[in-house]
Amino acid sequence: MRKTERPPFPLTLLWFWFRRTLLVWTGIALAIYLMQIAVCGIIHDNESVKAFLKFLDMFPAVLKIALGGEMVQMGRTPGLIAIGYQHPFVLFLYMLFAVGVPTGFLAGEVQKGTMELILSRPITKLQVYVCAGFLTITGMFALAMVMFLGTVTAVNIYNFGEPIPLDLFFRIAVNGGLLASTVGAVALLAAASFRGRNLAVGVTAAFLVVNYFAWILCQLWPRMYFLRHITLFNYVKGPKVWVGWPLDDIGVLAAVLIFALTAGGIVWHRRDLPL
Amino acid sequence: MKTLEVRSLTKWYGSVRGAEDVTFAIARGEIFGYLGPNGSGKTTTLRCIMGLLRPTSGEVRVLGRRVRAGRGTEHARIGYLPGEFRLWGWPRGRRSLSVLASLGGGDDWKKHREELAERLDLDLNRRVGDLSKGNRQKVGVLYAFQHQPEVLVLDEPTTGLDPLMRQIVLDLIREAADAGATVLLSSHDLSEVSAVCGRAGILREGRLVELAPISKIVQQGQRRLKIWFTDGAPAPDVPTDRLPGVQVIERQPGMLHLAYYGTAEAVLKWIAQFPVDRIATPQTSLEEAFIQYYEIDRPAPQMQAAPAPHKEAPHA
Repeated sequence: MRKTERPPFPLTLLWFWFRRTLLVWTGIALAIYLMQIAVCGIIHDNESVKAFLKFLDMFPAVLKIALGGEMVQMGRTPGLIAIGYQHPFVLFLYMLFAVGVPTGFLAGEVQKGTMELILSRPITKLQVYVCAGFLTITGMFALAMVMFLGTVTAVNIYNFGEPIPLDLFFRIAVNGGLLASTVGAVALLAAASFRGRNLAVGVTAAFLVVNYFAWILCQLWPRMYFLRHITLFNYVKGPKVWVGWPLDDIGVLAAVLIFALTAGGIVWHRRDLPL
Repeated sequence: MKTLEVRSLTKWYGSVRGAEDVTFAIARGEIFGYLGPNGSGKTTTLRCIMGLLRPTSGEVRVLGRRVRAGRGTEHARIGYLPGEFRLWGWPRGRRSLSVLASLGGGDDWKKHREELAERLDLDLNRRVGDLSKGNRQKVGVLYAFQHQPEVLVLDEPTTGLDPLMRQIVLDLIREAADAGATVLLSSHDLSEVSAVCGRAGILREGRLVELAPISKIVQQGQRRLKIWFTDGAPAPDVPTDRLPGVQVIERQPGMLHLAYYGTAEAVLKWIAQFPVDRIATPQTSLEEAFIQYYEIDRPAPQMQAAPAPHKEAPHA
């Protein structure tokens, strides 16, 4: 019989969960990748771009914001390419992963009854949490990198008639990836705190909706501008990324991410699971 | 040193009682039965032993180490079968068991797993979701036994199994104990407990109301006397004022079936004045003894702790 004092890190669980999410991740990554190429494909033709910009001017402000906000206002090709980074469909895909994966790992396994088996092996609750957190955060960042890769591919396929600053898109991808990871951490906190997966998904989705609408509202209504501080979407600002690394915004997102991860870890470790 | 020790374990879920002041210890190589109706606190105790729940007070020690909730204390050496065994539905049985065996170390138990599967007549190539309830339970049994643990914590291990498989599982439990494993067997099935356990604890409303060898538990209950009278003479009425606590279980022409507590002396003295043909003392089953602990009007008997029989056996 083997005698172990401290359980080794459960790489098996990490690998098992990774394989379980791989299909979903690949599907989302492919959609995001193709979306970037499609956006670049549409805008690389200058005549079409001009027509699009004229067409865009006729749109009400709310629609322009939804289509890409301040990046579009820049009126340049890179700004238009960046639409693919802020498109609601892309945001939806990110959030699908951010919400679905951590809740599936924690609350989902508890709900299925398999968490009782996992925890009856030489593994600590904290290790289980770290596995879920690691896959969520790295999964989100990997999606952001795939998004950037889509832009790189498109830049090599299409001729835009002007140099495309790929470093800008890398910064946006990192900043966006951090935003998505933060949402993932909030989902992890919800999954660690609530009894069922549906409740955890519901709470995270509500958090996202409130954030998103606060972001839209503060851009449309000057009186509500103060709301920008409470929405995570405020911390991915196009103009700031344009000129360099937005370290203050990255700092805010990282702080929220670390807080949510830590709080989730404490709650997960302390509470009795509803097995 | 006992392999498994539970000391003054209390667990409250808010204002709802789970288990209260539960104390027992199990020696190496012993099979200990843990009995109680639904909601009596059996599963709560087992989950505290596994560190899945944080006790409100008290402590649990397994293999000499204090169990700390969520830390996987000595789990590499424990085989656990939860009351409701549920596994991922899509992987094949072999894959699921391999993943679980590999958690916290390598899966060195393939050969033993295959042997157990053969013995339980279980096809590990099938997806767990496609298995019948009984076969899923077999996977659960395999899960608990596959790594040849030193401690087995089993919650209703034979649920859903046919009598043949039930017997095989009981054999596995006996063999594990013979090889030195300590077994905690929680069950509703009293015949199962009396078949394999040397000692048992009985829970009532979260409290341990009995902790004794099975034979003693059976003896502590009501005792029975069957008296046949000569030539079918009518059975006399029992003088309840002189024989308090004596109950008539059955009365037929020429036969009286009585139940009593304590010694038979008073009953025999009374019966001696009648023409008795013969007397029999039917055995009280564990089931009958068990039911007496849950009779609503009867106060819970005082717990009489009995020492665990120490059994030396070769290390598994």
